[in-house]
Amino acid sequence: MADIYLVGVGGQGIITASRIIGEAAIIAGKNVLLSETHGMAQRGGSVVCTARIGDMSSPLIPDGSADLLLSFELLETLRGLCKASRQTLVVASNERVVPLSISKQKLSYPTQDYVLTEARKVAKGCVIIDASKIAENVEAPMSSNVVMIGALAGTHVTDLEEKHFEKAIESVIQRMLEENLAAFRAGAKAVAEALTQ
Amino acid sequence: MDRLLEAQPGSKVLLLGNEAIARGALEAGVAVATTYPGTPASEIGDALARVAKEAGIYFEYSVNEMVATEIAIGAAASGVRALVSMKHVGVNVASDALMTFAYTGTRGGFVLVTADDPSCHSSQNEQDNRYYALLGGIPLLEPASPQECYEMVKEAFGISEKLELPVIVRTTTRVSHVRGPVVVGKIVPGPKKKEFVKDPKRFVPVPAVARERHLVLLQKMKDAEGLAEASRFNRTDKVGSGGKVGVVTSSAAYNYAIDAAKSLEFDIDILKLGFSYPLPTRKISEFLKSHATVLVAEELEPVLEVAIRAVAQQKGLKTRILGKSNGLLPRAYEFDQSILMAALSSVIAGGNLAEGTGAKPLTDLPTRPPVLCAGCPHSATYFAVNKATNKKAIFASDIGCYTLGVSPPYNAADLLVCMGSSVGTAGGLAKVNDLPVIAFIGDSTFYHAGIPGLINAVHQRHKFLLMILDNRTTAMTGHQPHPGSEKGVPGQEVTTVPIEQVVQGCGVKWMKVVDPYDIKTTTETVKEALQQPGISVIIARRECALIAERNEKGAIVKKSYVDQDACKKCRTCVDRFQCPAISSIDKVRNIDEALCAGCGVCTQVCPHKAIKEAR
Repeated sequence: MADIYLVGVGGQGIITASRIIGEAAIIAGKNVLLSETHGMAQRGGSVVCTARIGDMSSPLIPDGSADLLLSFELLETLRGLCKASRQTLVVASNERVVPLSISKQKLSYPTQDYVLTEARKVAKGCVIIDASKIAENVEAPMSSNVVMIGALAGTHVTDLEEKHFEKAIESVIQRMLEENLAAFRAGAKAVAEALTQ
Repeated sequence: MDRLLEAQPGSKVLLLGNEAIARGALEAGVAVATTYPGTPASEIGDALARVAKEAGIYFEYSVNEMVATEIAIGAAASGVRALVSMKHVGVNVASDALMTFAYTGTRGGFVLVTADDPSCHSSQNEQDNRYYALLGGIPLLEPASPQECYEMVKEAFGISEKLELPVIVRTTTRVSHVRGPVVVGKIVPGPKKKEFVKDPKRFVPVPAVARERHLVLLQKMKDAEGLAEASRFNRTDKVGSGGKVGVVTSSAAYNYAIDAAKSLEFDIDILKLGFSYPLPTRKISEFLKSHATVLVAEELEPVLEVAIRAVAQQKGLKTRILGKSNGLLPRAYEFDQSILMAALSSVIAGGNLAEGTGAKPLTDLPTRPPVLCAGCPHSATYFAVNKATNKKAIFASDIGCYTLGVSPPYNAADLLVCMGSSVGTAGGLAKVNDLPVIAFIGDSTFYHAGIPGLINAVHQRHKFLLMILDNRTTAMTGHQPHPGSEKGVPGQEVTTVPIEQVVQGCGVKWMKVVDPYDIKTTTETVKEALQQPGISVIIARRECALIAERNEKGAIVKKSYVDQDACKKCRTCVDRFQCPAISSIDKVRNIDEALCAGCGVCTQVCPHKAIKEAR
């Protein structure tokens, strides 16, 4: 059983990422449900997907009961904390997509330290990684969402194995396989290292 | 081969609820499938569009839901199987056809899928379309999961043929947009052609025929109730050891109810209604008899609750029936597990559900609503219109991406009700207001429902400016083609119907086409149009920026940048214009090169020429 709450901004490849989780679960022979944001909300708005692995019927995660908050954008991490509690691990990308409200209302974008502090107040732990840089380092600059899937695998929050994710990446993305697998492994490594520190 | 066709019988595949609907229809041997795209239904049509050629079926994105329904009726009345899908408000458009089709009935299986949207995730209302089943006398199936989407659509065709009635399959956002495992069966192609056997005493409902057919329909509803009683989709699940408390539920509410009961470790019985209209009254009354208290859990309107109370009253049952009428469950917005946990706790343990463990939401976070994209031609149009009118105009808006213009800085929407309403409401606004009236409508929406309004405006000599925001696609729902497109779905030849010819054919005398990226010309043209004595039409034509980006992949785009020395900090680019690529942080204007679409509109927006095109 694992409840994963994915947050970010329309256009960051979050639906693809959640599909990889879903396919990996099917490959591993587990039940899985995903809920997705489609339509108007995708136009640069906040996007939420859920992935629940295990024996349940509803796709939505009750407040406070996510096992993992997987955030693709720094500010959205804060919005996703409503699903977090002491059982929750937070893994966030430090990528910033500055919303128009910051410019229009003369606000400031939260710092990485602020996000870390707020997340640690409610969750059992928080790791922030530089997903875009990790993707660039393995020459897969378009695959920061796959880095985040690697990060998920690195937490071992689910009992899915690397081979399940790798097969899922192959079936969902179907192109630039080597680069995507490299992005996946680099994400897993980054989080595993951060968690042992 | 597309994975929707590829999946082998007996295999378990991960499908979106909407894809599962498409697979179910293919396995049922559907011959004709139609739709008008709308969230949360769009992926049904998109999946079928993708595979239609390979599967050998006919698919089309019709001009609107009414026509989509009529095409499916023509095919099904001839004897082949037909599927039509749409979002909930689309059924309002289709309902004229649907209500009378229940009278004539069908020969081939006819299934209408309505995807409702509790919580208005992508809609202007959250109407409960189960009422259409009651209104028309149309059997209703309500899947709760992708697996059930697949199974129920497949079976709906059989039910439709057995009863010779149309069947409605009703999903919600949390059914259509849930991805889960589906064990599929075999695709068995059905007949693609059938000769229409003439029978005007059935299929032409002049009053004498309609009166007869209404009685036929009422009899069929009795037969349908028999099918509902026997349906495997109406079943009782025991949670724990079961008990004296029961829940009657349907659709997504079932998922929350069973998860809530399991997590609270309550012993209850759940009567899950998948074939929910006509109501299986015998099954219901047996359930009522064997339970002291029954909670009716359904999203939105108390359709089941009212019907179940009626059953209890008819049978003289004293079961305590709880739900919306006593405030245990809300009538607005979608449910979740917590709502059902609170309701069940109140029924079984007398309330006192432990406080939630979730963090208090941080309330002062910068908001991030959906916005018009970088390079969106609508953004340029709205900037030009505001410039031309100084916002001294009333804006009748319509349904599409451009509705996002309602937000500051454009404030370009004052009145909106439904698809096509901009044109009609503009006429009414213009009759009773002195300010100029400007109607905004998208290209696809214009074809869908704008044309009758325009004919009326010309004939009645209404005075307003109609701006057709032509981005060459049905953008918001995922870039489906429309009658102005040069290409249809793969493998199909289409004839383009140009907007100009339609507008001229409606009798409009003053019409101009502008490129919204040219702010100066667009502004001048709006001013000129507002001087016209009657109806004027401007077609603001520029391909959707997302499509342009896809088509021009690899091409060199001239990105814009801010010349910091020339910037006078006037804030025009962030306060009067809106582009996700332009930011102002700590008083420094900046253009994000990765986001910039290179449209060059901002270079015209800046009054100090401080925004420049990169060399």
